[in-house]
Amino acid sequence: MNVIEVHGLKKQFKSYSSRKGLGGAFRDLLTRNYTILNAVDDITLNVKQGEMVAYIGENGAGKSTTIKMLTGILTPTAGEVRVNGMDPHKQREAFVRTIGVVFGQRSQLWWDIAVQESFRLLKKVYRLSDEHYDTHMKEVIDTLEIEPLLDKPVRKLSLGQRMRCELAAALIHNPPLLFLDEPTIGLDVLVKMKIREFLKEINRKYKTTILLTTHDLSDIEALCERVVLLDEGKIIYDGALDKLQQNWVEGKQVHFEFQKPVEKNALIELTADFPVKWRAGDKMRGWQATVDGDDDTVSKLMAKVMSHYSISDVKLNQVSTEEIIRNIYEEGMRHG
Amino acid sequence: MFYVSIFFQYASQYMKTRLQYRSDLVVELFSDFLFQAVNLIFILVVFGHTTLLSGWSQEEIIFIYGFFLVPYAIFSSFFNIWDFNDRYIVKGEMDRVLTRPIHSLFQIIIERMELESMFGVITGIAIMFYAGSQLGLTISWYDPFMFLLMVAGGSLIYAGIFIILASISFWSDSRTDIMPMMYNIGNYGRYPVDIYNQVIRYVLTWILPFAFVGVYPAAFFLGRDEWYMYAFLTPVMGLIFISISVFAWNEGVKRYRGAGN
Repeated sequence: MNVIEVHGLKKQFKSYSSRKGLGGAFRDLLTRNYTILNAVDDITLNVKQGEMVAYIGENGAGKSTTIKMLTGILTPTAGEVRVNGMDPHKQREAFVRTIGVVFGQRSQLWWDIAVQESFRLLKKVYRLSDEHYDTHMKEVIDTLEIEPLLDKPVRKLSLGQRMRCELAAALIHNPPLLFLDEPTIGLDVLVKMKIREFLKEINRKYKTTILLTTHDLSDIEALCERVVLLDEGKIIYDGALDKLQQNWVEGKQVHFEFQKPVEKNALIELTADFPVKWRAGDKMRGWQATVDGDDDTVSKLMAKVMSHYSISDVKLNQVSTEEIIRNIYEEGMRHG
Repeated sequence: MFYVSIFFQYASQYMKTRLQYRSDLVVELFSDFLFQAVNLIFILVVFGHTTLLSGWSQEEIIFIYGFFLVPYAIFSSFFNIWDFNDRYIVKGEMDRVLTRPIHSLFQIIIERMELESMFGVITGIAIMFYAGSQLGLTISWYDPFMFLLMVAGGSLIYAGIFIILASISFWSDSRTDIMPMMYNIGNYGRYPVDIYNQVIRYVLTWILPFAFVGVYPAAFFLGRDEWYMYAFLTPVMGLIFISISVFAWNEGVKRYRGAGN
């Protein structure tokens, strides 16, 4: 069963631009110039129950706008949206009872009151029974280890503590679908790990479907098998994370550090027979070769380069996800 | 029924929080009280020079002022939406409101209530009793019921006008100074409308019907039967305005653009 069914989804924003000078201001009163921005442009997406999907893209690619349409906050300009079998915007009040939402940059809790008072109010808002609350919430609180924070007001919590409480609050009604908008932003490694563990746990236990946006690719590597990559409002990749890695580059990255400065053209000429791309490395006199081939090709390439130039250091890496995504943004999706 | 219980949940939480900051609460009550006293003194000063204003005596005007304070207190306790644009649209708090299973307007009302403003009800009733006894008014059995009806009508008119103004933020997120201006206009309703010229009287009756919050309903209790027609229209106008405002709100929510766009 598909939890999220999106077909041809579009969202346009009109943004008004003002003309120059006083005369321009008067003309703006009569007719205003505007440009139409396609924040989300014809997206089709299906998500099955129990999937954990990473929704990624650069700032302004349309991630948040999509999430806001899926959660019923924004009305789509065009297209169909069914989430949990409902129209999020038209049936908003019934619909939001079936989802949980965490916005990493915005608190869902009441600032001035103790965490457990916030939970208590939410319990009323979602009309939960005492038994449900006692059994379910106790588990959530235990797993997230927030028991000692419950009687503190939210404003006195650290970001990591607050984030765990936010998660607990979003899960108070045990929703089958969870939206997380940058849940680990600004958190330290330990808290990040705790949160990832917890998300895996609820996904396993309740088959909770999770859609998350993040800029932290280690989140995706730890959690999601499926990645949806967004650029300028369009989906440019939708599929498995490891396939993304394979499709983009099979092979490795070699970092050379030469003893003397080397020209890029000289390197390209030297390795013209190899399926390789060169880019300047991070270090002085450093060059980075991305080799699209098997281990044999890689070692031949290294041999050739090293027999021509004297080098001070060499490193052999698997291409990181971060690298792949950067490449995709820079050069567009070609292998997809 | 659910909404009533949620209301009380929020209200009790609100009281708990307020009682933690006792000094703030005292200062606020005091400044509220001072504000009302200044208004009353203003009326007394005006009448220091004359005893009749378009056929209304000083006591009658004080009575109208007392009545006005009651719906106004209820309005300011529950409809603190004058900063709706800043707080909910620009800062994006509306996102959070829209992810909860309660009507968005109701959520904002219960989130933003300021129950201490309810003390205005007591001040208002006290002023009415004082002015009423000076005028020798008597209370009939139906007066308390009429009073509740009129107060409800007046509060709904006030709420309706301000909800409509707040809804404008959904269409245009530029800042406007229309809210403070409207608070000023609202104050005109507590003086007899026949002291104004025709145009202002028409506006205060049919367009921004603040006259229904003060002078018209109060005229009923003052026994001024030439105004009875308007007095009985008070609850009707309240219902009309609140309906329009809820409609405008719901239409606005569909156009909500979210923050950061």
